[in-house]
Amino acid sequence: MTDYQSIYLALSAILFAIGVLGVIVRKDAIVVFLCIEIMLGAVNLAFVTFARANQSAEGLFMVMCIMAVAGAEAAVGLAIFVLLYRKTGTINIDKFNLLKY
Amino acid sequence: MELIATLVCGGAAVAAALLVILSRNTVHSALWMVANCLVLAVLFLLLNSQFIAVLQVIVYAGAIMMFIIYAIMMLNLRVSDDEGDVRKSLFTGRFAVLCLFFLSLLILGVGLSPMAVKGDMFPLAVSTIGEVNLIANYIFLQGLCPFELVSVLLTAAVVGAVYLARKD
Repeated sequence: MTDYQSIYLALSAILFAIGVLGVIVRKDAIVVFLCIEIMLGAVNLAFVTFARANQSAEGLFMVMCIMAVAGAEAAVGLAIFVLLYRKTGTINIDKFNLLKY
Repeated sequence: MELIATLVCGGAAVAAALLVILSRNTVHSALWMVANCLVLAVLFLLLNSQFIAVLQVIVYAGAIMMFIIYAIMMLNLRVSDDEGDVRKSLFTGRFAVLCLFFLSLLILGVGLSPMAVKGDMFPLAVSTIGEVNLIANYIFLQGLCPFELVSVLLTAAVVGAVYLARKD
């Protein structure tokens, strides 16, 4: 069935690296958020691949937990973005240095 | 045949992820992210986990991404206010990302080593009992505590989001 698991794991690594690159490079808070979602998707792919290789339900359960956590993160994160946009009129993450000492 | 489908879907996933980063328009980034989620769902199908593929389409592409697109609509952003050319600044973080890429290739090494542990989701059980049944068994027998914690987390997140976003 999964004779190609090395392909899936390499794909997961590539997608994770793309997500990290986006978090480092982009300054738009929403795109940074999307890149975090790319990383979560890559990790989900690795989890499903290992769950299939191991024939266990644990990896699939972890994927469901990750999806729920991603939903919670989206709710809180986007509320914070809307609040910041109301206060400052921008969501460029370089403009936010309120906590800088 | 399966190899061809895997390679095509993998290429599509990488292309969609790159386009998320490279698009100037935030809405285009979000729509490419939807495409990425759908291709990931096809990859889950190719891995024979139909339940996770359905969840991926409904939860990710259906709920979370629509939520993000609504947020973009509320913020009324057309072009993201990145200064400078994104394609040029792509090269600033390349070393860190390269290191991380090789680090995550370690996963590949782990995956290629033989695995002794075998769970109870062998193909015969999946075809007779059913995949959803087996996952539900796992959730309500071994994973009950994390499952309940996730529900508490979701409630807390919704209450927090409503508290943050209300007008005061």
